[in-house]
Amino acid sequence: MSGHHIIPLKVLLNTTIALLALTIVTVGVFYLDIPAPFDVVVAIILASSKATIVAMFFMGLYYDDKFNTIVLIFSLIFLLVFVGITLLDTLFRDSTMAIW
Amino acid sequence: MAQASSINKSRVQHHFMNAEQQFSSSKLGMWLFLFTEIMFFGGLFVAYIIYRSWNPELFTMAATQLDTMLGAVNTVVLIGSSLTIALAIRSAQLNDTKKIFYYLLSTIALATVFLVIKYFEYTAKFDVGILPGAMYTFEGIDHPKANIFFSIYYMMTGLHGLHVLIGIGLMLWLLVRVKAGDYSSEYYTPVEMTGLYWHIVDIIWIFLFPLMYLID
Repeated sequence: MSGHHIIPLKVLLNTTIALLALTIVTVGVFYLDIPAPFDVVVAIILASSKATIVAMFFMGLYYDDKFNTIVLIFSLIFLLVFVGITLLDTLFRDSTMAIW
Repeated sequence: MAQASSINKSRVQHHFMNAEQQFSSSKLGMWLFLFTEIMFFGGLFVAYIIYRSWNPELFTMAATQLDTMLGAVNTVVLIGSSLTIALAIRSAQLNDTKKIFYYLLSTIALATVFLVIKYFEYTAKFDVGILPGAMYTFEGIDHPKANIFFSIYYMMTGLHGLHVLIGIGLMLWLLVRVKAGDYSSEYYTPVEMTGLYWHIVDIIWIFLFPLMYLID
């Protein structure tokens, strides 16, 4: 009965509290004015943590058939390939070239 | 009891062994759809990354035009709606039809609040000439490519908003079927799948909020 796990009410409420707390941290960190490349890094780490919490407890992957988690992980791998290979082009173009 | 199990049997299509296998197959199908959704929005995130890496100062300047407060409120609204739809699924599992209805209704209400806030954000920008692409006439940002940031902003938040609208449509359809008594702890697959869809819409906003609103 892996697909029919009834998630305890307490888990759902704690998930919500954790998400709200991380949202407050996300906004708080913004007002700290962290220097240039690291502000994005911190923002992405916080957003990824929130997304992981949503996927695990709201979407029930923690209780679910592990194959669904594999599908999600593969989508993220493909996304990284998409971003990575595109940046190999766009980050290393001739700076004298007219770009948008 | 005999009647209940015969209703349950009639839900199982002939190519599945039992309701359990049918449910997990539907769920896998939904996750594969969510895979395509991640790649769909992924294309726009790639556009965002490329233009931000080319014009970092533009993103810093243009983001000051976005209202951090409204973005934060909308984040909280969507997290709340994720909780209410999770509670709707839980009510279905516990066979509490009345509560499925009210939790779905709460989710629709929160989704509507999100869209109303987005409407006020958009119209405030339209009024000063912040429009996508060639229609951009705003003079307040001293950067020749200011329109590019807002083209990406409108495309990403607009597509996300469309997903919210589709989610409201799905939940209205669920309300009708809950009223008709179609769902119980024996069968609630559409409620579960709409929930998965709604959570991915929430996750996309979780990334859009810091990437759009929270750049110095």
